[in-house]
Amino acid sequence: MLCSLRTRLIVASVLWTSGLLMLMHMLSMLVIHAFPAVRGRASYLAVFLGVVFMAAGFFAARRGLTPFHNLRQRLASVRAGDEARVQGAYPAEIHPLIEEMNGLLESREASIRRALATAGDLAHGLKTPLALLAQEAEHLRSEGHVESAETIAQQVEKMTRQVDYQLARARAASSGASGTARTLVADSAEGLIRALRKLHAGRTLSITVDLPPGLTARLQREDLDEILGNLLDNACTWAASTIRVSGVRSGQVLTILIDDDGPGLPPELRTAVLERGVRADEAAPGSGLGLAIVRDLAELYGGSIALEQSPQRGLRARLSLPVA
Amino acid sequence: MRVLIVEDETLIAGRLAKELAQAGYAVDTAADGAQADHLAYAGEYDVVLLDLGLPKVDGLTLLRRWRASGLRWPVLILTARGSWHEKVEGIDSGADDYVAKPFRVEEVLARVRALIRRTSGATSVELHSGALTLDVRTARVTLAGEPVKLTSFEFRILSYLLHHRDRVVPRIELIDHIYAQDFDRDSNTVEVFIARLRRKLGPACVETVRGLGYRIGAV
Repeated sequence: MLCSLRTRLIVASVLWTSGLLMLMHMLSMLVIHAFPAVRGRASYLAVFLGVVFMAAGFFAARRGLTPFHNLRQRLASVRAGDEARVQGAYPAEIHPLIEEMNGLLESREASIRRALATAGDLAHGLKTPLALLAQEAEHLRSEGHVESAETIAQQVEKMTRQVDYQLARARAASSGASGTARTLVADSAEGLIRALRKLHAGRTLSITVDLPPGLTARLQREDLDEILGNLLDNACTWAASTIRVSGVRSGQVLTILIDDDGPGLPPELRTAVLERGVRADEAAPGSGLGLAIVRDLAELYGGSIALEQSPQRGLRARLSLPVA
Repeated sequence: MRVLIVEDETLIAGRLAKELAQAGYAVDTAADGAQADHLAYAGEYDVVLLDLGLPKVDGLTLLRRWRASGLRWPVLILTARGSWHEKVEGIDSGADDYVAKPFRVEEVLARVRALIRRTSGATSVELHSGALTLDVRTARVTLAGEPVKLTSFEFRILSYLLHHRDRVVPRIELIDHIYAQDFDRDSNTVEVFIARLRRKLGPACVETVRGLGYRIGAV
């Protein structure tokens, strides 16, 4: 019965008031017996003051409880990723609690960062031995052991994909957990296009970007880079000459379209290439994994990716992401 | 053509060096950042292969330092850190290409060729001078369709002159681009190789421009 704070406060104040009333009663009896003339006038004043005090007490108690309501709202926004820490002014009794809460959030973020760094080190630590194995396979192939070489090469590729995939997942899961991510889409796209122009320098590509200013996605920068990087790289690989990046915001969802004028993809392959481990073309290594990571990252953040026919005749990637 | 490999994993560096040497490049290797830095300022390279996770000085720091001090040769980053965020960072730091580990040696060779070609302004994978043809993919030289056997130094000289066919290459520059750092340069002079090239390909294949250097000639 005494489980809610409000009930406890009420019970406590009723008990307190009852005690006080008894004392006051005794006191007033003494006063009336000593000065009988005071009786009539004082009773009206007493009723009025009593009502005023009760009302004031009620509002004070109510105000006393509002910090909890605020706290709940702030915590909800921390959870939703709008704020990194519990903020606002609170009464002295609650303050240590808030500090503890923020300390907890901080240590949780630190341990996620550590776990992520460990995952990264593990992934990169595996890459060098894998590179050595891949070279060994090539060496075997050059000595005529084609079948063994092929098996090793395939397994190395599988392991590499697994490592990349799990690393991307770990990063996405951790940034989902820390929550406060926001990235300007144009920033990410510009950096990537700068890099892609160099990486595809052997080809003459025209890349146009049409993004509304201030378009911000609720994603970690690394993850938006990974998503857009894979999509843009695919577009650059397959485009005949033009790639177009455009974006639009509607409500809480932003949609980014990446169009190329390449050969496109037959409808039956458009969903298949987004599945893990499926490649549209064996001649373009890694493209399948790239798209699977794109899909996984987008979905981890509550977004989605679809492949369609582009008005430029090639492929259109339609990426939906939550707005920050 | 001379390549610097900066890689702390000796097995990878060794295998890459072997393959590049077979493809006709003079190769230097550095196993840590400090050594790489020393070689970078001491030598003339046509391409640098750079690992990022290096002992002493990390790869990106090196790269930024090189670019800030005006070193222009193309840099191909070879790294286990293959995310797009890291690629953008690498390219923005001054890299020209990026290959994530594990890689296929052929892919690295192809990218090295492409970088050299891009830097020299060549558009085709075949370089011509009269009846002389060099296919940079296979490192094969043919004269009027007939294959010609060249030693590695002869090949490097011919390849360098063909990649810079529109100008006279000073002797000292030629020397810088055909010998690895630890090679004893006195015992094999450029003149000897050029004389041999002229014997194999015809006297007009390399022109000596007195006081300036050498230029590829029409055979």
